[in-house]
Amino acid sequence: MDIFANLALGFGVALTPFNLLMCLIGVLLGTLIGVLPGVGPVATIAMLLPITFNLNPIAALIMLAGIYYGAQYGGSTTAILVNLPGESSSVVTCLDGYQMARQGRAGPALATAALGSFFAGCIATLIVAMFAPPLAEVALKFGPAEYFSLMVLGLVAAVVLAHGSLLKAIAMVILGLLLGLIGTDVNSGVLRFAFGISELADGIGFVTVAMGMFGLAEIIANLEHQGTREVFTKKVTHLWPTKEDWKRIWAPILRGTFLGSALGILPGGGALLASFGAYTLEKKVSKYSREFGKGAIEGVAAPESANNAGAQTSFIPLLTLGIPSNAVMALMIGAMMIQGIAPGPQVMTERPQLFWGMIASMWVGNLMLVVLNLPLIGMWIKLLTVPYRILYPSILVFMAIGVFSLSNNPFDVLLMGLFGLLGYVCVKLECEPAPMILGFILGPLMEENLRRAMLLSRGDPLTFIQKPISAGFIIASVILLVIIALPQLRKKRAEVFVEEV
Amino acid sequence: MRQFLACVVLLAAAGGAAAQAWPAKPIRLIAPYAAGGPIDISARLLAPKLQQALGQPVLVENRPGAGGNIGADFVAKSAPDGYTLVIGAIATHAINPWLFAAMPYDPIRDFRPVALIVQVPNVLVVNNELPARSVKDLIALAKARPGKLDFASGSTGSTGHLAGEMFKLMTGTYMVHIPYKGAAPAVTDLMAGRVHLMFDNLASALPNVKAGKVRALAVTTRQRSGFLPELPTLDEAGLKGFEMTTWWGVMAPAKTPDAVVQRLNAEIFKALELADVKERLRAMGSETPAVRTPQAFSAFVASELKTYGELVKRSGAKPD
Repeated sequence: MDIFANLALGFGVALTPFNLLMCLIGVLLGTLIGVLPGVGPVATIAMLLPITFNLNPIAALIMLAGIYYGAQYGGSTTAILVNLPGESSSVVTCLDGYQMARQGRAGPALATAALGSFFAGCIATLIVAMFAPPLAEVALKFGPAEYFSLMVLGLVAAVVLAHGSLLKAIAMVILGLLLGLIGTDVNSGVLRFAFGISELADGIGFVTVAMGMFGLAEIIANLEHQGTREVFTKKVTHLWPTKEDWKRIWAPILRGTFLGSALGILPGGGALLASFGAYTLEKKVSKYSREFGKGAIEGVAAPESANNAGAQTSFIPLLTLGIPSNAVMALMIGAMMIQGIAPGPQVMTERPQLFWGMIASMWVGNLMLVVLNLPLIGMWIKLLTVPYRILYPSILVFMAIGVFSLSNNPFDVLLMGLFGLLGYVCVKLECEPAPMILGFILGPLMEENLRRAMLLSRGDPLTFIQKPISAGFIIASVILLVIIALPQLRKKRAEVFVEEV
Repeated sequence: MRQFLACVVLLAAAGGAAAQAWPAKPIRLIAPYAAGGPIDISARLLAPKLQQALGQPVLVENRPGAGGNIGADFVAKSAPDGYTLVIGAIATHAINPWLFAAMPYDPIRDFRPVALIVQVPNVLVVNNELPARSVKDLIALAKARPGKLDFASGSTGSTGHLAGEMFKLMTGTYMVHIPYKGAAPAVTDLMAGRVHLMFDNLASALPNVKAGKVRALAVTTRQRSGFLPELPTLDEAGLKGFEMTTWWGVMAPAKTPDAVVQRLNAEIFKALELADVKERLRAMGSETPAVRTPQAFSAFVASELKTYGELVKRSGAKPD
């Protein structure tokens, strides 16, 4: 079979000492920036771009890719330990991961995240290797109508993310949607809700909102307990998942990997939905759904697997079509162009060494990451024993640096502060930030695709049900809505959503 | 020893130009767009070469936002001492002033153009299912099916959008503009056949044209492009006077001393002649610009500003 010859070629490239070193540097850097809150792969890759000028293209891309998926590993660490999502994909990891940490189970949570990510990374890499060209065609099948319907499904599912009151969850989704309206209207170019502030012209950055709503709000809330912050390190029992844990996580990891691989292929928000989708799915199918939001290990396993699988398969549209699916991929295109490689359909045939070398390096990189991360778990746990008065100010500093580095603008730091206050108010009102974040991410995408689809259909809304893929998502959303809304199912819904504290 | 000699040479060179002792400290080059885009890349290509030539660090700093206005405004309000420069572009200096209701700076009065570094043509590309094989076919098709053809662009007010509007004005046709957030999703829908045509920039269109995923009909520049020499210009294809290029170059705040501007211009053009810089800029679809002196660049910016003002007004692209 061709695939073996190709993979052999790929590993031949990836396993040369120099490329191995580049891969190692990439994943090390990725882990590091993933752990530092707010400093994301976009800023890091941008800063490293000039260094890659002098490398050969394969080594450069192997290193940059390593930073990207390395950050996915590292991002979950702060999400679990201190409730700080560094990446959009680790927002849901906060929900149960942080609760696990509070219960003294940070070790198993971190191990689950690392192992789940590794497994997902391996499977997804295999999928990229075997099915990249046909899957690229799937990406092309998704037009504005299909994206809109997918987002509708995602938004309906967002309500399931909450484990408190349904009404509050819907209110938070709507708040997120409203915040997402800020910025330049795509169709007309008019500024909306910018109040003459040019920094708001491009809308509010996701990282700014997430840092404020999760991290900063958590720190403020902790200040209330004077000097008696929950000391969850004393309760640490073991670092590794127990036998019981293993039994509970293997199926969520599988499902998360599958869902993440599928959604990662879609440029424009697909990979973003992966972790949210995986969490929602688990909450629906797991027999432990009552524990979700209170430290269910499935709630860490599924989204972590999904986001890493999605990170790998999002290379498919990049490598086969030259379409970047997110900001990091856009940077990779920049890196390729600097090297004189025009990203596009011909990369695979004209530069098989680059294409297969990169795929093989992803597998190697994932292995390095798991080897790197498992021993680090003990060290991360130790971090929690650092006194509050030292740990949290340093986190604040890192957060401020990270948010500043997004566009070198102090305005973003101020904005993060505002969202911290809003987050604290939400904590007090027992309104959860996760549905808001999802609304905030999906809202603009939904609006953009809705209006584009309507422009293309010249105002005919039937376009959403005339296209089979789109119709499928709409039907699924309706079914989900019915389940949530039907009065006779209310009791069942109560079981699913409301967990008394 | 060689290092010592190099130092001496460097000091001598610095001394020669040191009438005003510029540069005595690091220089900031502001890229008013996100990292990884073509403008950022060209800034990062140029910076190390300038650093070598000037003997002071040249740091690229991204200050994205508001279509480039945030970064441009930052430089407009910086001290005119040659230590803060910006990559000014067609958007920040010719289009935005007509699109934005409130501009924080004046594109002419607040800046001193130093050197035009990149000019990239746009290419008229259509999806493979469209029967049009030439610009003439396309015009006929648009006339036969008024309001049925869609043209995509990377954003409202982008060169792709305005090229489409110019095409509509010159041919008396009507097509619907479909704006996207960036060129990549627009190209995706073009390849998938959901939109009919697009005026894409050459660098992003080229690989898809070569792979046969989309069909190129013409370039928007006056001269044919060296990358697709067989492709006619729109001017040749019957749209007399059609001309549009995406450009960007180094600019300084107004009142930056003449000597600094001249020195920078000279060093930038020396850097642009270096083989590796040339090759990488070519990879972005750029051929070395014909506008070379700061004076010519100033005149070029002024004329571009005028052209797009008329176009934005006539096309109705202005939001309010």
